[in-house]
Amino acid sequence: MSEQTINKALWENIPKENKDAEVISRPSMTYWQDAWRRLKKNKLSMLGLLFIFFMVMTAIIGPYVISHDYSTQQLQLANIPPKIDIYKVDDATYIYMHSEYKLFNVTADGLLSDKIKETENDLTNRKRVYNIDGNEVVLDYSYASKKVEENPDGVKFKLFMNGEEMKVYDSVHNKSYVLGTDGLGRDMLARVIYGARISLLIAFIATVVNFFIGVLYGGVSGYFGGRVDNLMMRIVDIINVIPLLLYVILLSVIIGSGLKSIIIALGSVYWVSMARIVRGQVLSLKEQEYVLAARTLGASSMRIMIRHLIPNAMGPIIVSMTMLIPSAIFTEAFLSFIGLGVNAPLASWGTLANDALGGLRSYPYQLFYPSLAISVTMLAFNFLGDGLRDALDPRLRK
Amino acid sequence: MAKQLNPNDVLLEVKDLKKHFVSRHGLFGQHTTRVQAVDGVSFKILRGETLGLVGESGCGKSTTGRTIIRLYDVTSGEVIFDGVDISKVSQGEMRQYRKKIQMIFQDPYASLNSRMTVGDIIGEPIDIHNIAKGEERQKIIWNLLERVGLSKEHANRYPHEFSGGQRQRIGIARALAVNPDFIICDEPISALDVSIQAQVVNMLEDLQKELGLTYLFIAHDLSMVKHISDRIGVMYLGKLVELANSDELYDNPNHPYSQALLSAIPIPDPDATKHGQRIVLEGDVPSPINPPSGCRFRTRCKYVMDVCKEVEPEFIEISPNHFSACHLNTVNK
Ligand SMILES: Nc1ncnc2c1ncn2[C@@H]1O[C@H](COP(=O)(O)OP(=O)(O)OP(=O)(O)O)[C@@H](O)[C@H]1O
Ligand SMILES: [Mg+2]
Repeated sequence: MSEQTINKALWENIPKENKDAEVISRPSMTYWQDAWRRLKKNKLSMLGLLFIFFMVMTAIIGPYVISHDYSTQQLQLANIPPKIDIYKVDDATYIYMHSEYKLFNVTADGLLSDKIKETENDLTNRKRVYNIDGNEVVLDYSYASKKVEENPDGVKFKLFMNGEEMKVYDSVHNKSYVLGTDGLGRDMLARVIYGARISLLIAFIATVVNFFIGVLYGGVSGYFGGRVDNLMMRIVDIINVIPLLLYVILLSVIIGSGLKSIIIALGSVYWVSMARIVRGQVLSLKEQEYVLAARTLGASSMRIMIRHLIPNAMGPIIVSMTMLIPSAIFTEAFLSFIGLGVNAPLASWGTLANDALGGLRSYPYQLFYPSLAISVTMLAFNFLGDGLRDALDPRLRK
Repeated sequence: MAKQLNPNDVLLEVKDLKKHFVSRHGLFGQHTTRVQAVDGVSFKILRGETLGLVGESGCGKSTTGRTIIRLYDVTSGEVIFDGVDISKVSQGEMRQYRKKIQMIFQDPYASLNSRMTVGDIIGEPIDIHNIAKGEERQKIIWNLLERVGLSKEHANRYPHEFSGGQRQRIGIARALAVNPDFIICDEPISALDVSIQAQVVNMLEDLQKELGLTYLFIAHDLSMVKHISDRIGVMYLGKLVELANSDELYDNPNHPYSQALLSAIPIPDPDATKHGQRIVLEGDVPSPINPPSGCRFRTRCKYVMDVCKEVEPEFIEISPNHFSACHLNTVNK
């Protein structure tokens, strides 16, 4: 056994204030702080949140930052894709050959300038002659109508400079119109950003309307219960069985199609699911003892609703709101796509997709970008909603 | 008990109180079921007294308490508080009585709103009744916290940061905030650890002495109730079957159901034969939707007689201040 001297001080009594058992050492955390802490751990949700933030900021300040306007038409510059093939005339001069057989001056890194006017247009031989910096450039587009035997490569046209065939010099990004232009020569990027404004605005208004009507209606229905509840829920059922499309068509007949009728239609239908969720929550929460305690204290129905029931139902309400935004965005896009949406020159993602349909085979990029915006935004909201559901679920709360 | 009670100073009198829950089913609500949760209960509570109420789960103890405080509307009967029948006043008029009658709940986790700080929870009655504002409100809250053995730093914390016992103290502080005369304690200790149960019961006793409170103390086992109660009522299936001083009930249980309840209490003394053999009740409690005719306990009573099926036993005084509802008391005499 080793000789161990035990410090006498160790046997001293602990001072009274140190052993106060009622002291709580963990930092005080509210429900929302706790939920935020948990949400931060969910990578996908944070990614979604970041994207949504980015999207909202773009929609708000984007139109002021980018150089093009969403509604200015330049028919000369219609249907230019985001990636362009350029040909070299000389060291300082490059040309871009558009698929509609138009030639443009372009810089080596993809900045478009003006359209080049032809000096001669031979319609019978399907040839156009240009004079570029003293070089004679000939565009022969007769190949498109030639038989397969004569044109085994399937090329549609050939460019000749001073009698010599030109080869594609480079394929560069379109610097002037990053996402290309649409059929009327409007900048796609400006239109997609502007579309984000309209789409997010509609989603936002639909959500706010829905929150207020849904929470009020569901809250009253659940709180009073019994016959009131029964009647109110039957009304909800009736509203729910009438298809949304019918509302929109009727509304567009009455007040004309456009932003207003979409907002009214979404607002008047979407609160139904929110009302159901809130009602269910209130029905179960109102039997909780803290609500009974508030009633024994003499709290009014209003106070119980605002101070006790709604704050405790806030988790599911927020989750269902985040889940509702993507579906509102999609519904708006769908309605605009089938032509019941906003009117030109306003653009939402749905109308953009619709506009792109005509030239889909030649210019698929015009459909691609608005669809991408719709899908990624919906995905982002869904990721966020999933994360929020986990973060706000009181059963996981420790 | 060294308590001085005036037998003429009745704070609360419950007369033939009934609470039936009626629910409708079917498409047009044509079918109804009627749960006779409380079916004719009468008792008096003197000022400063503690009346214990015991009985198996589902016998209607909570419903009795909640009906007295008007969380439920009274089906029939009277609740006379301080000379006024509060069973029929409107919810608006009831507000003034809400300051005098308070309730402490069973579940310390469900009885506090987790979205509010402890300060706001205790402050809610102060706000509702406009008792105080600003600094004075703050002071009242701190006083209440200290009174129930917590400290004022706890006012900014949230309920989930507290233990069950601490939460129950917060619930008690909330009930005390309006300065009530009468508190209904609905199983305030059954969700707590045994070691903490005694603490809370002792605190309730101290508060009673200090503030002159009157309690209706609901529990489902007799051992803790006996300690705090002056008198005890035993409930079975919506009815009061026996009511006596707690020592009297403990020593001389009259109703077979009370005898069975008492025999289930473990006795520290191994030689004790006070309550004889442990009586095990056979079968389940019948449903309050369709209670047995006559005496409600007859389906599980080992002394069951023919008369029990037909006639409902009367609640009679078998010895001074000892009431019981059993045919054995009348038939044998
Ligand atoms: N709101 C209600 N609607 C319908 N029936 C109810 C309601 N509340 C209680 N009951 C029924 O009334 C009866 C008595 O319930 P109560 O809660 O009063 O029992 P208890 O004695 O407090 O039981 P426990 O010891 O479990 O708390 C039970 O059968 C119960 O199912
Ligand atoms: Mg109960």
